[in-house]
Order: sequence, then structure tokens, then C-alpha cells
Amino acid sequence: MMKYLFKNTDYFMKEAKIILSTNLLSNLTSLFSMTLIFLFLAMVVAGWWVSSHIIEAIQDEAEINVFYPETLTATEISALLEEIEVIDGVREARLIHAEEAYERMEEVLGKEAQVLTYFTENPFSPFIEVNIQLEDLDGVLADLAQLDKINYVRDNREVLEDLRHLAGIMQFLGYLVVVAVGIATLIIIAHLIKLGIDHNREHIKTLILLGAPDSFIAVPYLLVGLLLSAGGGVLAAILSIFALKYIYALTAGPLPFIPLPPLGNITVNLFLFVIILSALLGLGGSIFGFSTAKVK
Amino acid sequence: MIEAKNVTLQYPDGTVALREINLSVKRREIVFITGPSGSGKTSLLKLLMGMEFPTGGTLKVLGHTLHKNEMDKIRWLRTLMGPVFQDFRLVKGRTALENVMLGLRFLDLPLEEMKSRAQEALFKVGLQHKANAPVENLSWGEGQRVSIARAVARKPAIILADEPTGNLDKENAQNILELLAASSRDSNASVIITTHATHLIDETKGRIIRLQKGAMERADE
Repeated sequence: MMKYLFKNTDYFMKEAKIILSTNLLSNLTSLFSMTLIFLFLAMVVAGWWVSSHIIEAIQDEAEINVFYPETLTATEISALLEEIEVIDGVREARLIHAEEAYERMEEVLGKEAQVLTYFTENPFSPFIEVNIQLEDLDGVLADLAQLDKINYVRDNREVLEDLRHLAGIMQFLGYLVVVAVGIATLIIIAHLIKLGIDHNREHIKTLILLGAPDSFIAVPYLLVGLLLSAGGGVLAAILSIFALKYIYALTAGPLPFIPLPPLGNITVNLFLFVIILSALLGLGGSIFGFSTAKVK
Repeated sequence: MIEAKNVTLQYPDGTVALREINLSVKRREIVFITGPSGSGKTSLLKLLMGMEFPTGGTLKVLGHTLHKNEMDKIRWLRTLMGPVFQDFRLVKGRTALENVMLGLRFLDLPLEEMKSRAQEALFKVGLQHKANAPVENLSWGEGQRVSIARAVARKPAIILADEPTGNLDKENAQNILELLAASSRDSNASVIITTHATHLIDETKGRIIRLQKGAMERADE
């Protein structure tokens, strides 16, 4: 097989060119369709990666607040901190004094912070800020419930659950689109290959009568499938990079606090992902088309 | 090279194309199969190429019995044959040289040898000056000669030619028969030729088998 490939490169390339040019309009339309399909895939995958990155960044900041009786001494608070830190799923536990809680609220309120001046005393209580791994939320809460010196725990459970749910949906959607695009590409390429084979039936029959093995007959058709699919993939990857740059530019101004992943990384990964996937699907579709066509 | 014992070919519609054919062809032997249209000449060649399979008797080609369910073996056997089809089976849109090379592409030959063999074969059939002409621009006779060049270039063990002299004038027909005979000498090939042109056969040293309604009528040594 490899011998055929290298020795007959000129023949295979010329045959692929002839097959492509024979149904030029149909092949160009297919290339355009492949480009749109892979562009859709690229945008969904980019959305999946970006949202996963954002969710991961937010998950890294997943915190619960543990309030304790203000009568606890400094030694008791230190002991409580140590007890919390050893719980599975706890990344870090840090004591937030009442003054720091006040300053944080000032930052959050911004211009409206003057409302705090109406209080004669600091209205905030000290608490322990516990940074956790989101997937261990239930275990951490159960362990905290076992500890004596805790008044209550503010766990932001609903928000954290929503985040976890959103991450799951994006992942599911990503897989779903990859599978859907995969099937669509396989069908389109297989159909094109079958059309090409139908059009060259006499040529193929001659090759069979001369004793050509299937692998030799198949190569030009595999090349055509590869070129159409990977060509669509390359165009889609280029377009998706422009689209991503535009979306980043739109987002960076009005929503600067969103922790977007670096554009360079995501474009390189997306480019490679779309091209490799499109090439594999093109080859797969061609093999499927050739093996199901009645060439014998 | 070829051993047929009581070979019968009956098509699914009941038509009997060949009956009780007994034939033995040795290396370097030239065999002419003659007979009127519908006598079974092409059917016999189809059997030898594994395009059809005997419905009775046994057929061995190059020591191998041909079975319908052994297509890989049949494909391999075909690489040892040089077929000349009645309708030439040249691939349009390709040049004469490309068509001749097509028969060599999968024969495990270096590219340079493929080219030189193809050019040599075109030279032998007198078409070296048309090597780069698309086959659809060639005349009927030229197309036929390209088809023969494709078969000869393979240096096959068996050449199977279906009406290779059809529609050629006497001189060109004799040239073609001489070329096939030379190829037999050069590569020790057996040559089986179906033809209507019985008046040309005497000038070559070959055996004549006459078919009539699918049965062998005569075999001249």
C-alpha cells in the first residue's frame, strides 16, 4: 500500500483533481457546506472551552463563609481554623476580621458606600472564609456541621449548584455538537464519494479487470474526501479565528471582569482541533463511502 | 498455463454460452479462437479473466482454479494477464501514455521502468508520436493499438485479446498479430486471440479453435 502511495503520487493527485473538477459545482457546494458545518462546530467548541475556563476560574473562587460566636478567643478561633483546613475538599481557610468585611462591602458598594456611614458601629461580624473544591461541597458542609463552635454557614449553595449545572450543560452540548457534526460530515463525504465512484464506474471497472487492488482504486477517492473535508475545516478554522477575535474585542470593553482564557491559546488549539477533526472525518467518510459503494 | 476440462457456462436466463470445452494452452503458444458472432468466443475470454465462472467442469489458469468467492486471487491473476478488450476500455481524459501506464501502476515496478515500458510499448505499436495525445483524440485503430500497448507493456504470462484486428485494414491487422506473436516470444506469454479474420491466421504459427454455438468444432495443432 505504501509503495503504491509514493510511486503513484502523481497519478493519485491527477485522478483526485479530475474527480473534483468533473463535478466542480457540486464539490464547491459541498466545500461551502463543510465550511459552515465546521464553523458551527468551531464556535460551539470555542464557547465550550471559554465557558469551561470561566466556570473553572469561578469554581476556583468557590467559597463558603463560616460564622462563629464572637465570644471565641483568638486561640479557639485558630483551633477552629485548623480544624476546617483539614477537611477534605477545603483548599484554604482564612479569618476575615470585621474591619476587612467592612472594607470589602465598601468596595462592592462603590459610590453607594456612604450608606455604611449611617452605622455608628461596624455592622459586620468576623467570619472564616473557606475556599473549597466545588465538587466536594456536600462533604465539606457535612463535616462543618460536625464542628461545635460554628453558629452558621453561608454556603451560596444555589449559585454554586447553578455553576456546576451550567458547566455540565456546556460539556454535554459540546459533545453533542461534535457527534452531530461528525455524523453529518461522514454522510456528506460518503455521499460525495459514492457520486464520484458512480461517475467513474467504467474507469474503476477497467482497473478491476486489470487486477488493481481496492486500496489502489480507493486512494484518489480518499484524497478527494480528505481535501473537501479538511479544506472546509481550514476555511472554518480561519473564519472562526476572526469571529473569536471580534467576540473578544466586544467582550473585553464592557465586561472586563469576565476571566476569558488567553486568545492566542484558544485560537491555536481551535485551529488544530478543527483541522485534525475535519481531516479524520474526511478520511472516515471516504472510507465509508468507498466500502459501501458497489464497485465490485 | 490454461487447462479447461468439460467447461460449461450457462447464464441465469438459461442460455448456454459454452458447452463441454476442453482446452489446454501451453507457455508461448498462440491460440486463435474463431467462430461466428454468438459462438462463445468472448464468453471463453471472460471465463479466463474471471469475469464469469464455469457452471460445469473445471478451469485452471496459471495453475489456479478460478472460484467466484476468491476475488483476491482472481485480481492477482489478472495482474499476470494482458487483456485487450473489444471496446478497448481506455480511460478518457488521459493520454495514450497514461493509459498504458495505468496497467503498470500496481505491478510493483519502479516509476522509471513504468515509463520506459509504456513508451517502448507505444513505440512497438507505432504510436510513440501520439504518447501525449488524449485517447479521445485518437482514431479507432489508434485506440485499439493503445489498448494492445497497455497489454504488452505488462509483459504478462497470458495475453487475452478479444477481436484485436477488428476493423483494421489487412496490413495493420497483420502488424498487430505480429506484435502479439513477438510479445509471446519476448515474454514467454501464451496468447489467446479471438478473431473473425480467419484469412490472416495462416500467416502466423498458431493453433486454431473453432467455436460453433458454444461448442468446440475443431482444434488444429
